[in-house]
Amino acid sequence: MSHLDIHSYLAAFDDIPGTRVYTVARARKGYWINQFAMSLMKPENRARWKADETAYLEGWNLDDDQKAAILARDYNRLLDLGGNIYFLAKIFSTDGLSFLQAVSTMTGMSVEDYQAMMLAGGRSPNGVRSIKEGN
Amino acid sequence: MARITAGVATSHVPAIGAAIDLGKTKDAYWQPVFAGYDWSRQWIAGEKPDVVILVYNDHASAFDMKIIPTFAIGCAESFKPADEGWGPRPVPTVEGHPDLAWHIAQSCILDEFDMTIINEMEVDHGLTVPLSLLFGQPDAWPVKVIPLAVNVVTYPPPSGNRCWLLGEAIRRAVESFPGDLKVQVWGTGGMSHQLQGPRAGLINAEWDNRFLDMMSQDSQRLRSIPHIEYLRETGSEGIEMVMWLIMRGALGSEVRQLHRHYHVPASNTAVGHLVLEPVA
Repeated sequence: MSHLDIHSYLAAFDDIPGTRVYTVARARKGYWINQFAMSLMKPENRARWKADETAYLEGWNLDDDQKAAILARDYNRLLDLGGNIYFLAKIFSTDGLSFLQAVSTMTGMSVEDYQAMMLAGGRSPNGVRSIKEGN
Repeated sequence: MARITAGVATSHVPAIGAAIDLGKTKDAYWQPVFAGYDWSRQWIAGEKPDVVILVYNDHASAFDMKIIPTFAIGCAESFKPADEGWGPRPVPTVEGHPDLAWHIAQSCILDEFDMTIINEMEVDHGLTVPLSLLFGQPDAWPVKVIPLAVNVVTYPPPSGNRCWLLGEAIRRAVESFPGDLKVQVWGTGGMSHQLQGPRAGLINAEWDNRFLDMMSQDSQRLRSIPHIEYLRETGSEGIEMVMWLIMRGALGSEVRQLHRHYHVPASNTAVGHLVLEPVA
């Protein structure tokens, strides 16, 4: 196998429409979002979080943008701020949402429309492979 | 001599586990997903493997962001189902095979694969959903399981070629184990799905089916598919398919496809499933 250039490897990820690839840059930025979310794996932490979300967030090294996005359940913003979907899943599972329900909120579609799209075979890759190529 | 007798590929969608646990497998939505596993359940009941090396990815259950192993092998006596935020799945504890697991770990390290060794770990839907699909709801799993967790979450994950080569190293390791064991390798995850961002819900049935074809024909070409192609064509979580290549690499150059199933959707995901056997 030829050696890949790390810079062009990473740059290509920014060319995918509507997608935030979980790179090291995002992982570093969102470290505490993800570690906070991970804490909700424990029932006693879920109870404390549900009782007072704002107070619970004080226990983590989060900036104001990150806290606001968590409280607003703004998942696209959380992806931009370094959240990873499998960690963010701990937040929406605690809210009682399924993956399908939570994921639909990132698409600008209603849950019903999103579910109907999935039943009809999902979102076509045509037109959303590359920003540059427009294909 | 221990030997690899078959390979299984399957998606590991968490909603499939929930459908099984909540008794919804006959619902109109789920019936076509599960029907594609009927053949495999009968087949595996006849095959009676001793050990499954189960390649999967942890979804922020056993590993948080503190430690991110690329390839981690579970060497424990047993692995409890993880609480993923809604309580652990009501499935049996997974029994390991520490003798074979340690043998594979040592052999692979000598073979230049620097494995992370895990002595205590809980296992999430990535590992338990495939077991449920193949074995249903028994009181105890009828097979020992060696979990092999692959990082496909934080970039870069291993290349497809690296996965294939690890599969080859696992085969060499299994074949040098002094014990008469029937071993299967399962590659799980995929097929196309994207769980994040405005492009979520992407499914590429054409690409997925070509990938399924190539698992048994022209499989060398699978090794050079770059990450960016999985991402563009199959969605951000379609990258999980590199894990299938560990299974495929472990089966040797020629395989026979015994069974194939493809269905859209299960929740956000395209479900793909193969049963392959090596051709000696």
